[in-house]
Amino acid sequence: MRPLTPQRILGTCLGLCGVLFAVAVISLRMGAYPISVRDIVSTLFEAAAGRREEVPVEFWQVVFGLRLPRIALGILVGASLSTAGAGFQALLRNPLADPYVLGVSSGAALGAIVSLIVAPHTVGAIQIAAFIGAASTIAAVYFLGRRGGQLDSPTLLLAGIVAASFLSAIIMFLLTMVTGSELRSIAFWLMGDLTAPPPTTNVLGWLGFLFFVFILAAGAMYTTSSDLNLILTGEQEAKHLGVNVNRVKFVVYIAASVLTGLAVSVSGAIGYVGLLVPHVMRMLFGTDYRMLIPTAAIGGAIAIVLADTLARTVVAPTELPVGAMTALAGAPVFIYLMRRRMR
Amino acid sequence: MSRSASLYSRGFFIGAFTRAARQIVLVILFLAFCLANYTGAAAAQAPTYKRGMKFVTDETGRRMAIPFSVQHVVTLAPDLTETVYALGLGDKLVGDTSFCDTPPAAKLKPHVGSPQTPNLEAIVAMHPDLVLATTSINRAETADALLRLGIPVFTSDPHTVRGMLDSIARMADLIGAHEQGTALVAQLQSRLDAVHARIAELPLVHALFVVWEDPLITIGQNTFIADALRWAGAESVIVANQNWPQVSMEEVVRLQPDYILFTANHSESNKDHELNRLRAQPAWKALRAIQMGRVVRVDDEITKPSPGLVGAIEQIAHELHPEVFSSDGRGEGFEHRTGVRMEFSANIRQERECDFCGL
Repeated sequence: MRPLTPQRILGTCLGLCGVLFAVAVISLRMGAYPISVRDIVSTLFEAAAGRREEVPVEFWQVVFGLRLPRIALGILVGASLSTAGAGFQALLRNPLADPYVLGVSSGAALGAIVSLIVAPHTVGAIQIAAFIGAASTIAAVYFLGRRGGQLDSPTLLLAGIVAASFLSAIIMFLLTMVTGSELRSIAFWLMGDLTAPPPTTNVLGWLGFLFFVFILAAGAMYTTSSDLNLILTGEQEAKHLGVNVNRVKFVVYIAASVLTGLAVSVSGAIGYVGLLVPHVMRMLFGTDYRMLIPTAAIGGAIAIVLADTLARTVVAPTELPVGAMTALAGAPVFIYLMRRRMR
Repeated sequence: MSRSASLYSRGFFIGAFTRAARQIVLVILFLAFCLANYTGAAAAQAPTYKRGMKFVTDETGRRMAIPFSVQHVVTLAPDLTETVYALGLGDKLVGDTSFCDTPPAAKLKPHVGSPQTPNLEAIVAMHPDLVLATTSINRAETADALLRLGIPVFTSDPHTVRGMLDSIARMADLIGAHEQGTALVAQLQSRLDAVHARIAELPLVHALFVVWEDPLITIGQNTFIADALRWAGAESVIVANQNWPQVSMEEVVRLQPDYILFTANHSESNKDHELNRLRAQPAWKALRAIQMGRVVRVDDEITKPSPGLVGAIEQIAHELHPEVFSSDGRGEGFEHRTGVRMEFSANIRQERECDFCGL
């Protein structure tokens, strides 16, 4: 096996970024309103030359009001979920772990439902309440998952599962109190939905804030990546090699939970990406976390942008929930890669 | 992997990480540029937006500016499409949903997708001056997203038959068809009054309105269907605050409704067939209404807060209170008319999703 050098990681990441860029451009082109790449480029030039009035209003609305924010949100959500999945798989030393395994999505869903009951017609209330729900669940599971003052993987997993089922029970109870139109919003939210408008009119500031949080959390997780490699061989062994296992676990837990909470609160529970993408990246580029974390982030972004593009084009003009698309397209790819590796 | 290797790379990786961070910052700056242009675009379009506009608050409390002269309307629900046609404004309709099938001309209009998941881009491409939505089937997110783009979306929120008439008048005013709106509302109101005049003295019939058979889902008291039943001289046996409550069969057997009401889209092709099927099921067999054959197939129009709802009210009133309607020939003619209509709508309903839950 070739040694893992920084150059190789950068090269791989740049290659994946190229794929992501290509997918984003394709996604920008596709949709009910026809747009060619040449249109986009010439429009950018017109805008730069100050002749914005010559561009049709609906072109701006479609490209800058609908598609670009949606692609940006897709990149953010995909990268967050996939990085969080990779983190939880190492933290719990369980290949089945995904971003939702510790109950964060149930907490977020509970927050969203409460907001729909309390303030049904407030733009952005769902996102903010979902984030509060996710954050409280993260804190609760953290305290439940400690044993002797330290995070213990099996206890943490059990605490997360118990929290998830407890919160789901409350959700089922609350759903009986929700009337028709709110029930509809929550159903779409639970399936994963990138179409909900952001809570502020300052789309740029909102996306900037989300990316800032993503960079902080993913960066924090990346600093532990070489320690994670050692922890995966066994916690005792890692301790003997001088790794501060408790610190690493704490950092990974908080970073992965924040990433999940972030993604869930803006887009609802989009399944499979956080589970499948890290595994696909392991099969393609190896299991080293220094390589895995950045490639999983970019791969997750590619997966969501691609799935969302399919979701809004395959049965056009109707749109499918993006969560359904990730599962539909993700499962066969995963099975193919798994079979190929076994051969 | 040895420890020394990971130590060697850790320093290196911080470097690689900062380089990656720089790349990401560049990407963010690019997006920032694009979105700055986007916000600029919104600002540039604001001045033209104010001329010839009136400010309106819709039935969900959203405020928006609507042109005085509306030429292009997009509807996001079948009942709204029906209302627009009933007002004689079909030629102003530039787009509707793939669920819109009444009147048949609505099927030929360009579609924007289903009421829950309309394609926002398709709506934008139709240049609407006004988009009509309703809380009974659309999602709040759709209206919010379109309003963000500067497209006015009037959301109606009818919970009663009178509320539905008010909504019709309000929407007619918005599209600049005040006279047609007044005339249509007056005509519908007089038909309702005619029904009311005949049945006002009669006691309310206790009925079970079946939205879905298995699991048994019925209507809550705050739905417009419950109100329509009251206009037709009936009352739902189930009292619930939820709009579409799921109830147990035991509760229904205990309450023993006088009549069972089914909609045409969720039931068999004719009443006898339906009755035989229900009589074969132990739970339903225990109901006196089933034993006595008191089952009514209600026109699908009952499911939509649109002008057709009044026709459905007339039909239910005729079926539940035949004694007060049999004196003139109107009852028979009416039966015939709805019969044809029901068959027509039952055929196209097959490919439809559920009108109630909207899923």
